[in-house]
Amino acid sequence: MPTVSVYVKPFGHIPGLMGLSRSLITQHPMGRPLGAPGDSQRQSAVIEMALGLLTSDGPVITEFPEPYRLP
Amino acid sequence: MSGNTPETIEELRTSFFYGSRSDLNFKFVRDLSDVEFGEFLSDLFAATARVGDGGDPLEPVQVAYNWQVQAYAGHLGVPANFPHRKDDTPITAMTKALSDAKIMVLTSSGHFVEGDDPEPFGEKNMTQAEAEARIAEFVKSEATLSAIPMDTPADKIRVRHGGYPVQAAAMDSQVVLPLEHLHSMVADGMIGSLTKNAYSFVGATAQGHIKRSYGPAWAQIAKDQGADAVLLVPI
Repeated sequence: MPTVSVYVKPFGHIPGLMGLSRSLITQHPMGRPLGAPGDSQRQSAVIEMALGLLTSDGPVITEFPEPYRLP
Repeated sequence: MSGNTPETIEELRTSFFYGSRSDLNFKFVRDLSDVEFGEFLSDLFAATARVGDGGDPLEPVQVAYNWQVQAYAGHLGVPANFPHRKDDTPITAMTKALSDAKIMVLTSSGHFVEGDDPEPFGEKNMTQAEAEARIAEFVKSEATLSAIPMDTPADKIRVRHGGYPVQAAAMDSQVVLPLEHLHSMVADGMIGSLTKNAYSFVGATAQGHIKRSYGPAWAQIAKDQGADAVLLVPI
């Protein structure tokens, strides 16, 4: 089953250790992997980038390019 | 602590980790050295003061985040000794375009639907505070997977998890369980469709059970629901 994971950066070392196939690391604090409460734009952008990684046939761990922000 | 008994810096640090000052946003300070903890406080106080003078209100959050990253960098110990380490990276390719794919979402955030409380340890209406107080029991327990129909209104989604700060997830479930966003992506044509349910469990659980039993069973759920791919949002 193809999978993609979203991890916050405090735990961003785990995907590599566990051999996860596709992972997006967000520069967000613990408990806010997709974004801050109410920041729909950031949440959507993170999910879109994560789902986009599903097109990769090879292992990929990459970082969402923008830092955490408030809505 | 008695008001007359001095508190060591170590005791102060560990008080945020399920102790007298428990705050899961800052439980990471337990893993800092005393010197690092002092530096963290200095950075946090300075950033907070700057906000008072018109500085960026996000700066204290950024300070805490940076120290959280540093604190957790070594929390799993020596990588070679990590019990869940894998030296290979199995990967399954998509068999259809994302715009035709059925997506399922699975989180370890502890979300469930109002009225369908998994009732951990047989407890009805366990509070978040109670979950935090019983974290040691949770990490030894078996996981319970909650099904969350994809059309569940946001105000019917509940969250309880003793292992991470749930305030954001309680305010806005979409910070970890993006039901509405996924529906929008279907409407926009980015993804084909969604499974009937999303799924969530409390990730503070016996990891060995996940590997040996629940993982394969949950993968079968995804297949049974016709998923072409799974979005995993671990906490």
